[in-house]
Formats: sequence, structure tokens, C-alpha cells
Amino acid sequence: MSHIERPRYQCALGGALVTINAIERAVAIVHSAPGCAASADGAATVGAGYWGSTLTDGRATPSTNIIERQVIFGGEERLSEQIASTLDVIDADLYAVITGCMTDIIGDDVRAVVSEFQKQGKPVIVAETGGFKGDSNLGADFIWDAIVTQYLTPGLPKDNRRVNLFGFVPAQDVFWRGNLLELKRLLGRLGITANTFLTPFDDLKDLKDAGRAALNVVFSDVHGVKPAAVFEETHGTPFVSEPLPIGPTATEAFLRRIAARLEIDPARLDEVLAEEKAYYYGFLTPLTDLYTDQDFQRFGVVIGNVNYSYAVTRFIADDLGWIPYLVAVTDLLTDEQRASVVARFEEIPEILRPKLIFETDTDRIKERLNEELASEADPYGSPISPAYVIGSNLDRPLAAELKAGFFGISYPITNRIVTDQYYVGFRGGLRLTTDIVSALVANR
Amino acid sequence: MGLKHDKVVPGREDRVAACMAHGGCASGMGKQDKICLKNNERTFSQAGLCQLLPTLGMLLTLPDTAVIVHGAIGCGSTGFGMNTAIRLHHVLRGNPNAKDSLWFTTNLDESDVVHGGEQRLEETILTVAEKYRPQSIIVLQTCTPSIIGDDLVGVIEKVRPLIDIPLLYSHCEGFKTKVWATGYDVAFYAIVHGFIEKDKEGPPPKKGPRQPGERPVVNVINLASMGKPDEIEIERLLNEIGIDVVIGPNFANRETVRRMTQADLTVSVCPTHDDYLVDYLHTEYGIPFVLKDMPIGLANTRNWLLDIARHFGLEKKAEELIEREESKARQAVQRFLPALKGIKVFISAGEFRAVVTGGLFQELGMEIVGLRSYHHDEFGTEFYEQLVRAQQGKDFPVDIANFQPFELINLLQKVKPDLFCGHVYDNGWAAKLGYPTITIFRIFDHYVGYRGFYEVAKKAARNLRNPSFQKRLGENVGSAYRPEWYQQSPFAYIKTDASPAAAA
Ligand code: SF4
Repeated sequence: MSHIERPRYQCALGGALVTINAIERAVAIVHSAPGCAASADGAATVGAGYWGSTLTDGRATPSTNIIERQVIFGGEERLSEQIASTLDVIDADLYAVITGCMTDIIGDDVRAVVSEFQKQGKPVIVAETGGFKGDSNLGADFIWDAIVTQYLTPGLPKDNRRVNLFGFVPAQDVFWRGNLLELKRLLGRLGITANTFLTPFDDLKDLKDAGRAALNVVFSDVHGVKPAAVFEETHGTPFVSEPLPIGPTATEAFLRRIAARLEIDPARLDEVLAEEKAYYYGFLTPLTDLYTDQDFQRFGVVIGNVNYSYAVTRFIADDLGWIPYLVAVTDLLTDEQRASVVARFEEIPEILRPKLIFETDTDRIKERLNEELASEADPYGSPISPAYVIGSNLDRPLAAELKAGFFGISYPITNRIVTDQYYVGFRGGLRLTTDIVSALVANR
Repeated sequence: MGLKHDKVVPGREDRVAACMAHGGCASGMGKQDKICLKNNERTFSQAGLCQLLPTLGMLLTLPDTAVIVHGAIGCGSTGFGMNTAIRLHHVLRGNPNAKDSLWFTTNLDESDVVHGGEQRLEETILTVAEKYRPQSIIVLQTCTPSIIGDDLVGVIEKVRPLIDIPLLYSHCEGFKTKVWATGYDVAFYAIVHGFIEKDKEGPPPKKGPRQPGERPVVNVINLASMGKPDEIEIERLLNEIGIDVVIGPNFANRETVRRMTQADLTVSVCPTHDDYLVDYLHTEYGIPFVLKDMPIGLANTRNWLLDIARHFGLEKKAEELIEREESKARQAVQRFLPALKGIKVFISAGEFRAVVTGGLFQELGMEIVGLRSYHHDEFGTEFYEQLVRAQQGKDFPVDIANFQPFELINLLQKVKPDLFCGHVYDNGWAAKLGYPTITIFRIFDHYVGYRGFYEVAKKAARNLRNPSFQKRLGENVGSAYRPEWYQQSPFAYIKTDASPAAAA
């Protein structure tokens, strides 16, 4: 490990916290020093297009706010007091105790504290999420593991038209709510009920009964994979890893795979695909003059997390017809996780396969891109002009330096607000085309 | 001890007997046993801030500075939010091309927790110095390295000779203090030690006495919650009575900070915020200070200006200016007064800001029906009394709370104000209950001085004229709390050493 410049994630506690915050009628009880919850979700709520806070998030997050005294003498008593009082004051159906660095270091036995409440039948779960254990994505895995093993009803009969959607870390995917809702709509058209869990319209009961699903779809090669494996072990539901489907090509492929797996009527599938494609092309076709006359093909530089970097690259290659040049994956990954990402990029035809780098620091991304550019034989010094950068707000200076177009799609996004926008599916692809091309005509 | 000799900045609960948990009446503030107040705790509590956050917010404003947060990966992650605010500050300061703030985490992981993080910190400082070439580097020590025993000062003194720019540091572990306002002290500590005490050139010498005819220079200590418009108003007023100003240390560079040691007087805009630095400049440089008021509202602005003017025998000029400005401002707010008369307002912010803003509202004919302060210390005490007196003895509830929205929401439902005026992240709670809101600071707007008096009146009248955003929200947003909570006292979960919380 080494230091990181302006990390594009929070700590494990942060990932667990925002996940709970995104689940309706679930509330976190943070067992940590006073600033941890505010640090973690302050970052997520601003960086995720001003997500903001709902009723039990932000400064309303129940927190033990432990200080030196508890660090020395232990914080278990304080935690027990806080769980009891939270049950009295906050009107929720799931209470998730999550811990910060110091409580993990001093070794509070939080599981023992929580089990006292569980014995009384209280809906309290616990995950140890000390920030030094890793980033938000790991923290989201920790809390999903806790939900799957401590909250879900075991032994439910399977419904072979029901799936659970995983792999979304709120704020890390700035558009998680819109994306989930659109995936739910699309699958719904095929007669599949998709549980999304992380939108404001989800019912906690669907989470409790998530074991009924015949399949778990993890929209990531990394995030959510571990808890999906735990889910399979505990509740017998298998899982598949799917890339986030953006645009007509990826979405059609995704729906065909799912339909085959769940044995959906092929005629119904074709009908849905035809209608959704017609929507995309119905709006895209009239843009043809603009796109071709202005030569809006670009060399693409894509910067983002595991999920977006691949999904966006596929979209610009397959649907926009661009040339992906360099992709920087900014997540902290194990070797094994890296290998799975590399394997995924190898699915891109060689002629369009970009240079793939794993880099957490904004400044290093620039350096490595420049090294790459310097190695190109181009006496005019503009090997990737015209270029376009699709990344986060942190990458705007890079785009400016390259005199490239820019659009922000990965965390952090602070220059617009995000509500129900989405980029998945056919319509999401249309939205992404609209946004990307809009940036090219913005100064007219 | 004081800023110069403290090894570690003391928590404000010890230094100024600050209190974080109390519920009572304005008329009773300051009359309780201090120690008892200090030890109040909540048996149900919601997330606060830690001292790291205000420290980071202040230090990220220093131009061309790299901040290294020594700890686990999450501690500095609010940098993004701070960066947006700081960018806007720079834009307002006529510097639209300001670079984004730069910060790093040493990213301590499980193995570092076992083996220590000193080496990582050392490497980080050296790499950042070499690669990013900032004008200065600041290292902030968070909880994790402190618990595992990293020797921050040892590392700093080891690398200081190796780099040629100022190296600032501070201990600001969140678990060390309940009072996050300690973070202001921590930022001052880092700035003073880095740019003055341990600077390569050493501390600047004391300035000699002013020559006859030389215009006096005063330091005005700015706040992250004070925008450029407010700084302009302060500068304008002081300039008009013949005083020059140095504004810092937020957004200031090394030179400006060092210049602050050469002033004739230090003026605070918020005593609670500034006393640690003010005291340093006084003790080490003999610079007298004015640490009493905040120039918000007519009476407070008057007192503030006169106190400063008195130091230089400029009372007469100040009186004239005040007469002129007051009559203009009073004239200007005339058209808003009918809409504001008798409006019941609830205020929520840092204590000093809250009480002086209360005075401003009273001058506009409004009545205070409740107030929440983030903490309580002696600087605020006398103002509560004044506020009660100014509304003919009508008392009001006071909640001392580092946020704790559950208490606020309960209290609001009991006092039902016509208008809520709160700090960022406070207004939302009132808005979701349907109450009209105005924000108590916004860096684009005027709040200070005469222009501020006018603008706040205008803002309040504008919001009261159409509060439908909040009203509709109130009709459509549910409650996170159990119905029984609203039946209880808003202070039911505060326990003192003597009395356990009523609800516990
Ligand atoms: S309380 Fe400690 S660990 Fe938590 S954010 Fe503050 S400094 Fe970091």
C-alpha cells in the first residue's frame, strides 16, 4: 500500500453506511468516534451529485460518538446503551451496527453486544467495518454479508421468475437509483421480478425475503461478488457477474443471457428488444447529420471504477463508434480482482481494446497517459486528437490539458445534481449519447 | 500554556469549559454549575463532527498547499465537499482559475495498524514535496495513528530539514475531544507553528511603535463561513474610519500570516472561533485585541466598531460613520418591516453566530422562540440575557447540541416557529417539517455590518413571501422518529452525572 491522492472512495465504514442509508426503513448505528459518520457520508452525499440526506442519514445518523474514555476503557457499554435508545427513538425495521477504526483496534466485542438484542428478537445486525480494512466497496461487501447471514429469512422456496440485483455501491455509482429502476423496468418487461433494495421505492420485506430469488445478478466483476457467494452458500441462490449494460449492444446481450438462463419466452424477448431498440434509434437517427458532418468520433479516455470503466468503454466502442485509447480503473483491487477486470477487457475486440491501467491517483493517471502519448510516433504531437475524457470531476483538468471534450460520470460529481438519471439499458445509452454530445455543442 | 507552548492543542472542554449537551431556557444560561454542564452526555446521540473536519476545511483554503491526512483512507474524504466551497470562495476572490485543493491520505491498512505508519508518513511527505511542489505541506494526525502510537512530531522533525518549504502539522484526532470547534484551534496551531514559530526564517521580530501619522493596521480574523462580500463590508467600514486591515489566516499565504504579527490590533469577528490565535498574537507580539462582539445586527456592529475605534482614538469618526450607515440601513429595511413584524423565529448555528443573529432579528421586530447552539462557552453567556431582555422578558428554550436533529425536530414541533434560520445542514430538518427557512450563512451573501442587516431582512421577507417549497415538503415527508418521541421532552436523552436521562 502507499498513500493516495484524493481517494475516490471513502473507507469501509463509509461504504457500509451509505448502503444502509440507501435502504428504506433501515438505519445505521455507527460505533465510532464523533467524526467518522460525517466524514464518510459527507463525502458521499456531496460527491454523488448532491445526493443529500434523507431522514436518518447525515447528521441524523445514530452514532455512539466515543471519545478517549471509551477508547481506554472500552466502548461496549456505550454501544449497548445507544442500541437500546435507538430502538426507542428511531422508527425503523432494520438496525445495522457498523464500527470504525478505533473500536476495531481496541477490540470491542460488538458481536456479543448485538447478540443480546438479537436474542430479544430485535432486528439488529452488525458488521465490523473499521476504516483501515479498506475502501467503500469493501465496506459495502461487509454489510451485505451481514445482511445476508443475519437478516434474511432462511429456507424460503424459490421463485424462478425472481432475481436480486447486486453490485451497486451507492455514491460510488452516482446513478445507482436510476440505474436500478431502469434495470427493474427492463427485466419486468420480460416477466422477471427484480429486487433492487437500494432505491427509495423498495420495500424492506423484499430484502427480508430475498432468499426467494432464483438468481442473483451482480453487475460487477468485483463489487458484491463476495456477498453473492455467501448468499449462495447460505440460501442456495446462484449468481452471475454481468457488466453494467449501457446502450443497445450491451443491453441486448445482457437480456439475451438472462432470458436464456431463466427460460423466458423467446418471442416475448424479441418483442421487447425490438421496442426498446426502436426507442433508441427513434431519437438517435435524427442526430446522424450532426454526428457525421461534425465528425463526432473521438479517441476516448475513460476513468472510473471497475463497473463504469468497462461499461462506458464498451458503449463508446460498440454503439458510439469511438476509439477507446486508455482506461484507468481507480478502485483498490486485489491481484485476483485485477485479473478478473483484465479478463473482462479482453472481451473487447483487439483492434478496439484500450490500454488498461490500474491507478488510484489523479496525477499518476495523467503521467501514465502522457508516457503513453510520448511513445506514439506522431511528429505533430497530437496522436489522440480529437479526444474525449469520460471520468469524474477530478479529471476535468486532464481534459482541459488535452483540449478534449469532457463528461463526468464517475464519483465524484459535484458540478450537477443527480436525481433519477440513469445510463443503463437502451434509454440510458441514449441519455449518455445526449450528455456526451451536448458537451461538444455546449459553447455554441 | 497557550498556542506557542502547547504540545498538543487542548480540547475546548478543558480550555474554555465548553459544553456540548444541555437543554434549558435562555434566562438560565450561564447560571448552571459549569462543571456539571461540561459532563452532560447523551444516551441517544447522532453523528457529530470531529475536530479534523473544521481543521481540514480551514487548512485546505491555504493557497498551493498540500494536506496530508495521516490515517485510514476515510478520514479526509469530505475534502470533495470542502473543495467545492473553497473553489467558489476563490472565484469570489477574483481568482476563477484557482487550482483544486490537494490532499492525500497515508491510507493506513491492517498491516500498518500492526506495524505502525511512521515510515509511510515520511515517504508520503517526501514524495508530495518533490512531485507536487506545493508552497507548504500540512500533516494532520487522525485517530488511527494516534492509537497505534505513531510519533508524529518525530517524523516531522526528521523530514523538516530535508524539504525546503514550510511544514505544518497538528494532532487532531477526533476521539480526543467532544468539542469539534477545537479544530479551529488546531488549524491556528498548525498555521502559527508552520509559518511563524518553526519557519526557516524564524518568527518575525516585534514591530516598533507606530510613527505619528501612520495609519493603524488591524488583523481581521476571517472564518470559513464568511464570504468575500462580508470581508469587503468589514474592510470598507474600517477603511472609512482610517484603519487598514490584514485579513487572514484563511486563504492567506505565508507572507500574509507573518504580516499578522506586525499589526496594531487583532480584531475577532467571532470570539468563540478566534481566541486561541488572538491570545498568541497578544502574548508573543503584544498585539492588543478586541474579542467581544460579532458585527452582525446594528447594535453589535456599533459596539464592534466603537471598540476598535477606541484603540486609536477614532471614536468620533466611527460615531459619524455609524450614524450615517444606520440611518441608511434603517431606511432601506422599512419596506420589509411590515412582513417581519412579530415573526417568531428559531435560530440554529454555532453559539456566537446564533445569538448575534438573534439580535439582528429583534432589531427587525421579530421574536426569538427557540435557539440551538452547537456548543456553549462563556463568550455567549451575556448575550442570552440581552436577548431575553430585548423581547420584554419573553424567555425561550435553548438546546446545546452538536447537531442532534432528533432534539431539534422535537423542539420545533413544540415551539412551531414562523421562520427557521439555520446553519448548513440544519435548514433541511426544518424545511422537511414545513417551516420557511433562511440560511444563516452563505459565502455569496452579505450578513455582516449594515449591508448584511439589509440583506438579511430582505432574505427573510423574500422567503416568508413564498414558503411553498417547504410547505409542500412538510405535507409529503414522513418522520424517522417514533410517535412517542414527540411526547417526550426534547432533552429527555441528556443525562448529567447527577441525574440520569429521564428516558434511560
Ligand atoms: S473521528 Fe477520527 S477516524 Fe473518524 S473521521 Fe475524525 S479523525 Fe478520522
